[in-house]
Amino acid sequence: MTKKSAPYAMILPYFLLYIAFGLFPILFSLGVSFTSWDGIGEMTFVGLKNYVRVFTQDKYFYKSLWNTLILLGISTPIQITLGLLTATFLKDFFKKTQNGLQLINFLPYITTPVAVGIIFQLMFDWKSGVVNAFLNLFGAESVYWLGHAWTARAVVIFMLIWKNYGYKMIMFLSGLSTIPDELYEAAKIDGASWWARFTKITIPLLKPIFVFVIITSVINGFKLFDEPQLLFNSAGQPTGGPDRSVMTVVMKFYDSSFKNFEFGYGSALAYCLFLVIAAASLVLFRVVNGKKKED
Amino acid sequence: MKKTVWIGKIPLYLFMLVLSVCALLPFYMMIVMGTHYSEDLYTGVKLFFGKYFVENFHAVMRQNFLLYYANSLIVACCNTIGGLLVSALAGYAFAKYDFRGKKPLFAMIVATLAIPQQLGLVGFVMEMRWIGMNNTLFPLIVSGMANAFGVFWMRQFIESSVPDEIIESGRVDGCREFGIFFRLIMPIIRPALITIFLLFFLWSWNNYMTPLVMISDQKYYTIPLSIALISSEYRTDYAARILALSMGTIPILILFSFGSKYLIRGLVAGSVKG
Repeated sequence: MTKKSAPYAMILPYFLLYIAFGLFPILFSLGVSFTSWDGIGEMTFVGLKNYVRVFTQDKYFYKSLWNTLILLGISTPIQITLGLLTATFLKDFFKKTQNGLQLINFLPYITTPVAVGIIFQLMFDWKSGVVNAFLNLFGAESVYWLGHAWTARAVVIFMLIWKNYGYKMIMFLSGLSTIPDELYEAAKIDGASWWARFTKITIPLLKPIFVFVIITSVINGFKLFDEPQLLFNSAGQPTGGPDRSVMTVVMKFYDSSFKNFEFGYGSALAYCLFLVIAAASLVLFRVVNGKKKED
Repeated sequence: MKKTVWIGKIPLYLFMLVLSVCALLPFYMMIVMGTHYSEDLYTGVKLFFGKYFVENFHAVMRQNFLLYYANSLIVACCNTIGGLLVSALAGYAFAKYDFRGKKPLFAMIVATLAIPQQLGLVGFVMEMRWIGMNNTLFPLIVSGMANAFGVFWMRQFIESSVPDEIIESGRVDGCREFGIFFRLIMPIIRPALITIFLLFFLWSWNNYMTPLVMISDQKYYTIPLSIALISSEYRTDYAARILALSMGTIPILILFSFGSKYLIRGLVAGSVKG
């Protein structure tokens, strides 16, 4: 194979696979979103009716969008702060134990979501959960965590933080190791405190990683499904938690498409979610770039 | 002087201690709860190991758990190795060759990073039904094999860590283009390969939604789906389910214990230019 044709042969497997199992399904879903179809019977073209229904008749779409925004908006900043702090602490103060601590803090991220759902259900159980036992120890009353809208949200937010800060930590650790040590040494000689070095060197130089982490967190946050779904998965629990307070957009999509078999409406929901994500990404890029100009 | 430095660090150690305990506690609870009698889990907090491990283990095994384990392994291995090769090849082409259409093609790949996988899920399910592949492991293996993140990361890594001279010298020695990739490039990019391998394997192993909507035949269940099947004599056996989950975490735990230091090294080199 010549030097000219080789790169095409190398990217061919990617594009073949993507077109067959990525692009085709996406375009097909777009077509389905203009129809009313249960996947088996006749497919009837309904135009924009599904989209009109999403935006004007389905109050649960707005509710699920709102829920997703709350869960995402509260948990992401905490995840990022915790991840950044652990990464810096590990690098500056825990050199010898870094490998072990790194694995411990990364452990939540590698645990299967199904396990996380069941474990948190039991840990936050009203009667026998370890969390209420801990509260009782200090004389506080037991809380019916999974029974009220806002406490259920708090549990999911806690789950998300617990699961994801380790991943953020890894990202920041990789970013930190690209900052040359000489910078810190020079600052130390000039008498800069740890805090000054952290705010004047670490944070500004980590900007590319911040951009990457923030944007991927938001994109992934909108896809939230596994954790809240599995927390309320067992028998007797309402879908989406009490008052559907943790029902996310993807849960709504899953319900419509694969429980009610409204393939057309489900596809329209997925496309609406995509529009929201695209808009959010654009706004975020603007904000990030705007900040860059100020510097 | 030294002493004050040490005392000043106490809050820092406390912070790391509390965080590490929080990270470990649910994990520890998972292992502990798998050794108790299921109904006992609802009668009080269980902080220490119970005596019901063997019975729970039998309850897990009664449900063909080894079959689901094998399914998960087949899916994760095929998906990961395939995805790794595809990403590394494409990443290499984008990093080290000049060819027509390179820029728009790469921009297209990056743009697909923002597309949620759920967008095509309905279409994917129907596609698999038409080619008769629903209710096999095939859709789980190919879904996500063309991974934009993988290509993006591989390109960054290869661009910054593979010198052009190596490729040139390979050509002078009469290596073919693919020969250069497999014999000269693959060994150099090992840290990136390990990093991507770990992440792909993790994502595939823990994938819940794709098998959930794709597989209805129990023969092809993967571990995350099979958990709901575990029950003993007309009751839901939570302890056995939790034991199964602990067992399902073992391969990931082993991989990451060995690979966690490579993970950062691979990510670092990839992010230099990012």
